[in-house]
Amino acid sequence: MASPHPALWLLLASPALAAATFESAVAPVLERRCVACHGPATRNADVRLDNLSSDLLNDRRAAETWHDVLNAVNKGQMPPKGAPQLTPEERAAVVDWLTAAIRNASARRRGTGGKVVMRRLNRVEYRNTMRDLLGLDLDYTKNLPPDELSRDGFKNNGSALRMSPLQLEYYLEAARRGLRSAIVAGAPPRIVAHRATETVADKVREHWSNRLGRTGTFVARSDAFPDEGEFLIRIRARAELPGKHSPYPRMRVSLGYRADTQTPSRQVALVDVTSETAQEFAFRGRIEEFPRQSRTQSKYPGLLIWIRNAYSDGRPPPEPEEIVSESKGKKKKSYVWREDPQFPKIVVEAVDFQAPLYLRWPPEHHRRLLPETPGSPAAELSAAEAALRPFLRRAFRRPVEEADVAGALEFFAKIRPTAAGFSQAMRETLAMVLISPDFLYRVETAQGRERRLDDHALASRLSYFLWATMPDARLGALADEGKLADTETLAAEAERMLDDPRSWSFIEQFSDAWLDLEGVNRIAVNPNYYPDFDPALKADMRRETQHFFAEVLRKDLSALNLLRADFSLVNQPLAAHYGIRGPRGGSFERVSLAAAGRPGGLLSQASILLSNSTGEDSHPVERGVWVRRALLNDPPAPPPPAVPNLAGAEDTVLLPLRRQLERHRDNAACAHCHRGIDPWGIALEEYDAVGLKRERILRRDGEREALHAVDSAAILPDGHAVSGLDALLDYMLRNKSREFARALTAKLLAYALGRSLELGDDETVDALTRSFIDGGYRLRSLITMIVTSDSFRGGSG
Amino acid sequence: MTGKSWRLSRRAFLRGSGVSLALPFLECMRAESGSQTPPKRFAAVYFPYGVVARESGAAAAEWNWTPTGAGRDFRFGKSHRVFEPLRNDLTVLGGLSHPKCRKMGGHDTADTWLTAAEMKEGHLKNTVSVDQAMAMRPGSRTRYSSLVLSTDGGVGEPTRASTLSFNRDGAPVPSENKPRLVFDRFFGANPDSLAARRRQLRNSGSMLDLILDHSHSLRGRLGKLDQAKLDEYLDSVRRIEQRVERSERWLEIPKPNVDASGLSLEADDSTPAELIRTMYDLIYLAFQTDSTRVATYQLGNMNGATSIAGKFPQLLGLADNMHSLAHGARRGDAGAEPLGRWHLFLNEQLAYFLNRLKSTPEGDGSLLDRTIVFYGTSNSQTHVNENYALMLAGGRGLGIEHGRFLKFDDSMPLSNLFVTLLDKMDAPAQSFADSTGELTAVSA
Repeated sequence: MASPHPALWLLLASPALAAATFESAVAPVLERRCVACHGPATRNADVRLDNLSSDLLNDRRAAETWHDVLNAVNKGQMPPKGAPQLTPEERAAVVDWLTAAIRNASARRRGTGGKVVMRRLNRVEYRNTMRDLLGLDLDYTKNLPPDELSRDGFKNNGSALRMSPLQLEYYLEAARRGLRSAIVAGAPPRIVAHRATETVADKVREHWSNRLGRTGTFVARSDAFPDEGEFLIRIRARAELPGKHSPYPRMRVSLGYRADTQTPSRQVALVDVTSETAQEFAFRGRIEEFPRQSRTQSKYPGLLIWIRNAYSDGRPPPEPEEIVSESKGKKKKSYVWREDPQFPKIVVEAVDFQAPLYLRWPPEHHRRLLPETPGSPAAELSAAEAALRPFLRRAFRRPVEEADVAGALEFFAKIRPTAAGFSQAMRETLAMVLISPDFLYRVETAQGRERRLDDHALASRLSYFLWATMPDARLGALADEGKLADTETLAAEAERMLDDPRSWSFIEQFSDAWLDLEGVNRIAVNPNYYPDFDPALKADMRRETQHFFAEVLRKDLSALNLLRADFSLVNQPLAAHYGIRGPRGGSFERVSLAAAGRPGGLLSQASILLSNSTGEDSHPVERGVWVRRALLNDPPAPPPPAVPNLAGAEDTVLLPLRRQLERHRDNAACAHCHRGIDPWGIALEEYDAVGLKRERILRRDGEREALHAVDSAAILPDGHAVSGLDALLDYMLRNKSREFARALTAKLLAYALGRSLELGDDETVDALTRSFIDGGYRLRSLITMIVTSDSFRGGSG
Repeated sequence: MTGKSWRLSRRAFLRGSGVSLALPFLECMRAESGSQTPPKRFAAVYFPYGVVARESGAAAAEWNWTPTGAGRDFRFGKSHRVFEPLRNDLTVLGGLSHPKCRKMGGHDTADTWLTAAEMKEGHLKNTVSVDQAMAMRPGSRTRYSSLVLSTDGGVGEPTRASTLSFNRDGAPVPSENKPRLVFDRFFGANPDSLAARRRQLRNSGSMLDLILDHSHSLRGRLGKLDQAKLDEYLDSVRRIEQRVERSERWLEIPKPNVDASGLSLEADDSTPAELIRTMYDLIYLAFQTDSTRVATYQLGNMNGATSIAGKFPQLLGLADNMHSLAHGARRGDAGAEPLGRWHLFLNEQLAYFLNRLKSTPEGDGSLLDRTIVFYGTSNSQTHVNENYALMLAGGRGLGIEHGRFLKFDDSMPLSNLFVTLLDKMDAPAQSFADSTGELTAVSA
């Protein structure tokens, strides 16, 4: 018996059917087991179940009581000890019906009636939009609070995303900061240039060198530097590779300064150095984005560029050897670092720093925002208007209304007399535009009898769906011409956008939300169990899954590859972690898993396995919940309040987690739900917390240790027996591919619309799922179908 | 008040502060308000999931959060020994909870710890939290009305909030979780000239006026749900207008000059001890410099699935994450110790904070004497929304009596304590949420 059965859940979509199920399956059980105490004669606890309404949606008081009933049954409190107990079938009938009915009623109450709510840009969208609008890629979101997650795990859900005074203050601050960089004032600044061919030498006990191995830092110092503007760092460097297949060293470049005890800095770049003949690397950035020294503090003056070798083979850097020498009767200490000849190294030959960079003054980003430079005070108002019209069009993502322009000009005129200059007044005026609701929110008002979005709102919805940013010029022009609503045009645009590198934002945001990839950051890997684990690997794990999803999407492969594939995408550190042959550097490449001894696909990836572990051992329940939620779109009901103490006081610490949790299933009350959850996770028992295949399960408690055999045999809810990941995948491909297709379709649609799906969406999801399956599970065509669907083109109320 | 000024001599101040402070002197030595009365302050610190609460006599009960005994005659358990030297500065409260929250989900009650509201499916609206009720009191004249901190930042989601504070409309007040950001906000110097800053503030005022005016036409085009969203936005605009006004009043008074060198402002979720201490340092500095008088700090939210703080115990070498430790505490003899050790860790951090307050003289006593610290959680054992584990520290100078373990039965709503605390904080209220009166037992 499956716990809350999907069919039952669907059945409840119809109130008439729900009532019929109650009468035929649930009421008789209550009559038999409960009504004697909770009936007309004796109303124990003032609860009567003989005449309690089964309409949980409309009768809130009844719904509350039913909730209590469910909890009491789940906890095993009812029926009370000594009274005849529920049979497993009776328990299933009551628990399943109540679980589904409560979920249904609360989903409906929470629902928005299928409407998209006016949606604030989330962090990623805001950052991308500011970048495209101002023409500068700054960290606009560094101070913004994290976004609110919707119940279904999305960060682009209009109902969930909120606004607060603090948030709005940070928007204003970010707008001002961005405009201060984007719009310049005054004469062209002097360009600073500095060249270093040797590292700065220092007396402190650090290894500063041109040759970078396990230790060593190359430090270049430029005493002069501007406070703002774009910088260029050019580095001439080569690799020293110990062998033909040796991994590449990775060059990490940071920029900052030295304070008394700290060296505040921020990374500029991280790249592989692949050639043994010297190459030139060029990196750009905005100097105001990096920690800078206050000009008055002069103890350690200058801007510092640090270069290090970030490649790691898991071994710690060597301790320096102290060498004491004597000269003129004085003892002098120095240090030597013995480098491993087998370690790939970087040799830095020269570093050039130049800032600020500009070809013309004012620079291009300025000229785009302020096309006219007024020659006289009289010309300022028209110059302001010439800047505002195109800016408002792009910022509001719709045609400009005269009131928009008039309002902004009114503000300009008001503040101009006290502003330091035209540029300064325009910075403030554009900042006002950037905290307006028309910019911060996507307003998607429906038009006409068919409640369709207008072309501009449609262009926005499409653009935020596939790029997480504002529409580009082409989408804007199509909307202006009224051509975007044409189905073929819409489909062609979706194709174009998927081919554009900006679609990476979609891949990242959607896979993070659907698969909960941020989970890797919630788990602390226990070094007692995994002494060699490098926490930096967590980011690579998340990237693997994102690149894997991207490969399936961009190569238009069957989405069933997400369940099982014979390939994955890894970089050197991750390949080393898995123990497979892979790329020599930090970028991700497709590798065949034919000889890897493990199947490919989401369930074999370390991101998923680690996120659903304890950091020591696998967590079969969490893994089971993950499968139900992400792959089957059938999340189990949350555990009841006040889970009872588990019986028995014996020592369980040394048991595998699976065995510890089994005690849940010995409890009749818990067993019912856990039978529907745990088997999915138990089948993954061959994989440890960090996603590696294991033969034995190690448990430790202080000095004590225990080794256990891996047991991945599970009976799935429908009675199928599987053992191990391979068998589970066989089963899923044979029996659950439709559910998987539907889950993926539903998640994608929810992401595209920016709202949670409701019962009213079922028909759409079913139709999309059918076409998705019939078309061979191609994500690209699913996306096109979503984009051209009525749901996507319909507006809010 | 005695004739003696509460304000400290600069010398005494530097001696007690523990961080070096440079000239010019601080706001609290400036008598900005013209009042001779030293400020009254309130901090609330929350941790999720409940505590060890085993039957007395069981071996595991030595890790119980709640002391044994009663009244003045009580003994701390192992996780609370660090409070022994502070015994006369704190009171342990037993038996209290919010009656309306008792039937809420086992992990749903962090939102309502300071509000006492009932939140459930279909009705997820909260009400004002007691700290914000204090922050809004008339005559509050600090640079910032409150300091809202958490490990996770932002507001989280209803029933899994990552903030303890809710404004008068019940909307969550976003929390800060980056020490650097808090420091810059409270103590960071603005490189711009006074005139430039004044100009910018005036501009902000005009900007917000214009946006409010202009939004009427937008509102007309929106449906009902969208209007509610727009109203949330407009409400935020109005509130920053008030902040702008407040900032104008403070414009010419430089921010307190606090040396950051002793603070780990870059600490993040990979180093819990450093992070938590730094946050306590910031609350301490904010109080000491009278930059605000109200602070809240949520140490982990009850979203086991997303809280970045869940792994803190593991980073300290304990066997499991926060959530699982709390569940494990109910299992076997050995289950209680890991959770007890986690609370020992949290208690050490709190003791550090209390000791800093206590070692800073102010007027006749210490900073702690005029700071009420409310500490605890909204569970007893995990999932059980009754008999919250709670402690009250500091505030002897505000009429709180300490050195006791006070037990109440479940007819006493926790809100009664809030009514009493509001009174002590000069924000008197007839009632708070579901209160039925005052909780006079904590008063001297």
